[in-house]
Amino acid sequence: MTTQVAAEVRARAGAGLGAAAGGGMGGQDYRTVFLNEPQPFKYCSNAICTAKYRYKLLFFLPMFLFEQFRRYANIFFLIIALLQQIPGVSPTGRYTTLVPLICILVVSAIKEIAEDIKRHRADDELNKREIEVLKDGQWQWIKWRHIQVGDIVKVRNNKFFPADLVLLASSEPQALCYVETANLDGETNLKIRQGLPQTSHLLEARDLMSLSGKVECEAPNRFLYQFTGNLKETSRPTVPLCPDQVLLRGAKLQNTNWVFGLVIYTGHETKLMKNSATSAPLKRSTVDRQTNNLIILLFFLLIVLCLIMAVCNSQWPAELHWYLSLDDLSVFNFGINFITFIILFNNLIPISLQVTLEVVRFIQAGFINNDINMLYEENNIWAMARTSNLNEELGMVKYVLSDKTGTLTCNIMEFKRCSVGGNVYSMSDGSSPCRSVQDLIVLVESGGPGSDMARQFLIMLAVCHTVIPDRDEGRPDSAIKYHAASPDERALVEGAQKLGFVFETRTPDCVVVDVLGTKERYEVLNVLEFTSARKRMSVIVKTPDGQIKLYCKGADTVIYERLGDSQQFRDVIVRHLEDFAGEGLRTLCYATADISQEFYDKWKNIYHKASTALQFREKKLEDAAQLIENNLTLLGATAIEDKLQDEVPETIASLLKAGIHVWVLTGDKQETAINIGHSCHLLNQGMPLIILNTDSLDETRDTINRHVVEFGEQLKRENEAALIIDGKTLIYALTPDLRKDFLDLCISCKSVICCRVSPSQKAEVVELLTRETGSVTLAIGDGANDVAMIQKANVGVGIAGLEGLQAACASDYAIGQFRFLARLLFVHGAWNYSRLCKVILYSFYKNICLYVIELWWAAMSGWSGQVLFERWSIAMYNVLFTAAPPLVMGIFDRSCSAETRMKYPELYRESQSGSHFNWKVFLWWVWLALVHSVLVFVLPYFSMTQDVAWGHGRVGGYLMVGNMVYTYVVITVCLKAGLETDAWTWVTHLAIWGSIASWFIFLLVYSNFWPVLPMAPDMAGIYLQVYSSPVFWFGVILIPLSCLLLDVTTKTMQNSVRKSLTEQVRESEISNKDVSKVLDTKHR
Amino acid sequence: MSGPDGDGVSNTLHMRMLERKVLILDTQIQELKYQIVRNEKKAADEKRRKLESKFNQKFKQQRLPAWQPILTADTVLPAFFLIGLLFVPLGAALLFFSHSVQEMELDYTDCKSVEAGVSMPCSEVIRKSNFTAECTCQVNFTITEPFKKTVYLYYGLDNFYQNHRRYVKSRDDNQLLGKDITSPSNDCNPFGMSDGKIYAPCGAIANSMFNDSLTLYDAGKDEKLKLIKTDIAWPSDRKIKFNNPPGKLNDSEAFKNTIKPPYWTKNVWELSDDPSNNGYKNEDLIVWMRSAAFPTFRKLYGKIDHSMIGFKFGFPKGRYYLEVQYRYPVDSFGGRKRMILSTTSFLGGKNNFLGIAYITVGCICLLLGIIFLIIHIKFGKRAVDQLNINQNTPYSD
Repeated sequence: MTTQVAAEVRARAGAGLGAAAGGGMGGQDYRTVFLNEPQPFKYCSNAICTAKYRYKLLFFLPMFLFEQFRRYANIFFLIIALLQQIPGVSPTGRYTTLVPLICILVVSAIKEIAEDIKRHRADDELNKREIEVLKDGQWQWIKWRHIQVGDIVKVRNNKFFPADLVLLASSEPQALCYVETANLDGETNLKIRQGLPQTSHLLEARDLMSLSGKVECEAPNRFLYQFTGNLKETSRPTVPLCPDQVLLRGAKLQNTNWVFGLVIYTGHETKLMKNSATSAPLKRSTVDRQTNNLIILLFFLLIVLCLIMAVCNSQWPAELHWYLSLDDLSVFNFGINFITFIILFNNLIPISLQVTLEVVRFIQAGFINNDINMLYEENNIWAMARTSNLNEELGMVKYVLSDKTGTLTCNIMEFKRCSVGGNVYSMSDGSSPCRSVQDLIVLVESGGPGSDMARQFLIMLAVCHTVIPDRDEGRPDSAIKYHAASPDERALVEGAQKLGFVFETRTPDCVVVDVLGTKERYEVLNVLEFTSARKRMSVIVKTPDGQIKLYCKGADTVIYERLGDSQQFRDVIVRHLEDFAGEGLRTLCYATADISQEFYDKWKNIYHKASTALQFREKKLEDAAQLIENNLTLLGATAIEDKLQDEVPETIASLLKAGIHVWVLTGDKQETAINIGHSCHLLNQGMPLIILNTDSLDETRDTINRHVVEFGEQLKRENEAALIIDGKTLIYALTPDLRKDFLDLCISCKSVICCRVSPSQKAEVVELLTRETGSVTLAIGDGANDVAMIQKANVGVGIAGLEGLQAACASDYAIGQFRFLARLLFVHGAWNYSRLCKVILYSFYKNICLYVIELWWAAMSGWSGQVLFERWSIAMYNVLFTAAPPLVMGIFDRSCSAETRMKYPELYRESQSGSHFNWKVFLWWVWLALVHSVLVFVLPYFSMTQDVAWGHGRVGGYLMVGNMVYTYVVITVCLKAGLETDAWTWVTHLAIWGSIASWFIFLLVYSNFWPVLPMAPDMAGIYLQVYSSPVFWFGVILIPLSCLLLDVTTKTMQNSVRKSLTEQVRESEISNKDVSKVLDTKHR
Repeated sequence: MSGPDGDGVSNTLHMRMLERKVLILDTQIQELKYQIVRNEKKAADEKRRKLESKFNQKFKQQRLPAWQPILTADTVLPAFFLIGLLFVPLGAALLFFSHSVQEMELDYTDCKSVEAGVSMPCSEVIRKSNFTAECTCQVNFTITEPFKKTVYLYYGLDNFYQNHRRYVKSRDDNQLLGKDITSPSNDCNPFGMSDGKIYAPCGAIANSMFNDSLTLYDAGKDEKLKLIKTDIAWPSDRKIKFNNPPGKLNDSEAFKNTIKPPYWTKNVWELSDDPSNNGYKNEDLIVWMRSAAFPTFRKLYGKIDHSMIGFKFGFPKGRYYLEVQYRYPVDSFGGRKRMILSTTSFLGGKNNFLGIAYITVGCICLLLGIIFLIIHIKFGKRAVDQLNINQNTPYSD
């Protein structure tokens, strides 16, 4: 079930097009849906298509080609292929670029089609599901795709909603229903939705038919938790609709027999699809950018080379050579020759690089997805590479910016302490110095001084929340399961339960609490919900004795701002809060206020108006809440423990060892953050802490300057120090004139902790760091508040955790636990980086090596642009004879085992510093390519000067030499791949020896084509000449060997004299393996 | 009044209760069903996992067994010494074979006309006649060491770019295959057609075919040495690539509607008296049509007929002269023409390069081997010494 919905969630740019087009239909600010009437507009169909190519076969080709030819390389080769069609210009025939290009496009197309067919099938399955729709007074089964806006549908238990609906009525009393939204936001707890009282009585088809009027709602948008609308029944007052009445596509009906819903958004206009339409921004890896620069460089090199050739050609005295009979030696000829040379040398730019990289990355991503060592078994979450473009970027990470809650910690909350009436009560029994919670219960029961406050505090714990209790229907005595939007809330309610204040039932307008055995009923008048801006939530209740009370809980700062004068325990609780935070606990403050009936009535009107507003509803609601959340009386505070995830300290220690700076960006209090920093070994004892807590721009400037001066020489170097800054100071520190100094200060420290920061500040920090240092940043987080940061960083990693899937959906890589980050970077990142660098360098190398030979040969063929090799042999070079080695290198090569890489994080520094791929390395490879090309041409040249290479005295032609040279090139280049490979699996052997063999076989077969097949007359019988020549076979031994002699020697020298750490570890590992071979096999 | 009403209420309540119970049962049944499905799925998974080959698992976990070569001084040492020790003798053997080849080269570019009263070089004679006249010249040479069997006669050209792009492609392989073609390939231009007649054979290569006649004479006996002009081209070329059109080899049958290339003096069916060596199947033509790789090249002209008296075991020493029917102009582009007499080894003609290259590479390998040995002694910490790498191990790249 879930997979199909997951298919919908998948971010697809293609879906965006349709959504935009559909939205245009009802393109106002709001939408009016008429009840039981045909709609005046034609809205978007409910059929969805998440496939990239929406119209299947018919439009696949043009769309696919359009996609492909947006790449510069493909355009370049297309132009070459077109130039080849000019008669007499091409030195290699007319189709020698077109055919490889088509081969490569076909490979890409097969990949795309394979992916697309899956999506089409999933879409079809969804579109063909059936649902009951009210038509002409009867329920009729129709397919999902035929559902239209304005239809009234009946959804049964355990079924998915086919579109976004407004809940009208349900089988439960008061139009209640339960939904599970795991596919939308990953939250597995049940949520309550409730229809309006005005429609809850519509239990029969008849009733529904009689409904008339209209529903006004906002235009389709992507905000899952936001909805504003109004129900305007004919001749009845307008009633506001809020997110409570909306059932979203992708969610599932649970524990409810059936519901009736009015369809308001369909197909690509549903919130689910709107969300999937906005894909993460396209990120490109550092290596990818460098490669692109190299391609551009090669392009200019190509132009220069061709100009040189054309000039030489025009200077060559062709008119003297009567046998050539060249009569058109005009200036026009210069241009024609130039094009000839461009065609001749076009493959200096490797045609197969893109497709090779695509395939390699695709498989590398598969390795990440299938890595059993990154499987979080508890929740059965595998790591997932949501993009494969950044595989190698994982090997270059310099900064890790991490969220705290849910990322470093489990996000499994436990109620630990509370502070009431000046005393701290602790959940853990005995050992701790403070009182146990039992004392609190005793206090409440005794009714002594302070018991009233304690009682109120505990009642508040049990009442002030949005938790839904779930009791097994069959067994009323079974334990209550709490469904909460946030783990904190559940922990608090469970805490209250343990203290004897059991929250039992929730109906839309009341909660029942079992207070030490007696049931008390609190009428819930309003819930002022929690938002990250408000940092607090309140409920307004009518107590059993008829009083109206406001309960407000939230962060200490916001609660303290709203307290009335002369609070009894104000300072004590502040101290307690600091203590709690120091232990790494999460704190909340609790306050209450008595509300008079007349004030409440007045306020209720304001609130109602705000809640029916169609525009700025949120802002108006906030203002309304502000009016009543005032003059509070402080009750107490709670402390919740959030345990560290498994192996977090070890992972952070490894990251630090690998030269990665770890920054923590959290919304928690400074003390909590520092404490967590200590417990996860990010900070250690004796490490100087630079704490920036300031209140103004000037103060911030002074502090930062002072610290910068203190660092002096050590600025911008790695120091054993940590910087801690809070959100308020960060606002000043990030102002344009301070950010440079601030950043200098940050990168001088080993670790940085930012506390009390908002999501946008997180993103700002990441952006500043990425832009100013140019280093690769990785952001990791688990919640919706980390999405901005994840998208801004070079690499975004999401933790598929308890706070939902939003972060994971926005990320590039999703993992189950923080500890898997180490494996993702040290093993996959480092391997993929080194593999991909090799593949890219090798692809450049092999093409330069082959095609530069044409230049040396040109000097001997009158700069005429004649190709030394047969045209199809050379055209197949990239797609046949040397295609497999780079692929295999990119997939199977590995230096140092995964275990060793995890054990010695220092190995990561090599890839981190980008030492495998930079100008120096590139030039070295180009140099090697040139040397090889010279040797591979010059050696056969000198050994063939006598033209007679057989005992029978016959002479060979240019193709004899050409095929000799070509053979040597293929062998040299394939062996060079082997030389660069650290680990030869049997596939590597197959690829390298197979590629060489494929050329020998090709030559044999191809020389027999003419005249049976009308091609390659000049190759007819060449295999006899080549294979029967002893000179050729002596060359096979000598020439590749003497080419690679240089490579082997330099490599050996390096390994012997200046051995890299990787090489050292690799060697010790290999020789170690020999010793413990038996042990090793046992382990497998 | 209240009775039925109350009943109605209790009825609806009852209905609700029943409905609820049904719902509970429903969900329970569904849960059971779900469990069954899940169990089935689990079993299927298990089965699949077992079936999934070991390779697949190892592949996915990147644990395929691999050979991991190490390139350090001590590991490559033996290979270098081995290569050195193999290559040097091999190179020596190759040199030996090359030296066993006997070769005599004779540059006749500037030879003087033998005609009485004309003391000009033949090249000038033919230039003056605008390449219509023939000029005969003779060059003397001495063989001091007898050549061993078999002796081949080559002609060599210098600074002649048979590998020029516009030249190489200027041919029509379909025509040479003996196919009946109505118009030659465009590649042949400007030697494709003339006045509706096809050049036979067409193209620049054929047009510029080497047409000097070389004859060897024994100077003492003044006797013409016999040359074998067959089996000088590659059998594959003779059998596959070159065929005469059907019919008798004359201008009315096989070569009807054709015309001889502009620079030729004879028609293609007049190249030889031997009908099996005539037309497109003429071996001189076939040899010429295989473009040479470099601007200095040689082509096989013929083989010495060792059935001649005195030639049974080779080419006896003595004084000889070469008589040339000088037709082929090369001085415009500074070319040279040579006659080469050569024997072969199994490696072909005389060329020391391969032997020298083997010896050089062998020596370099030995030298490197020695250097590596020194390095190994100086720097060679065995890998075992480095087993203990900890966080204090200095990092170097």
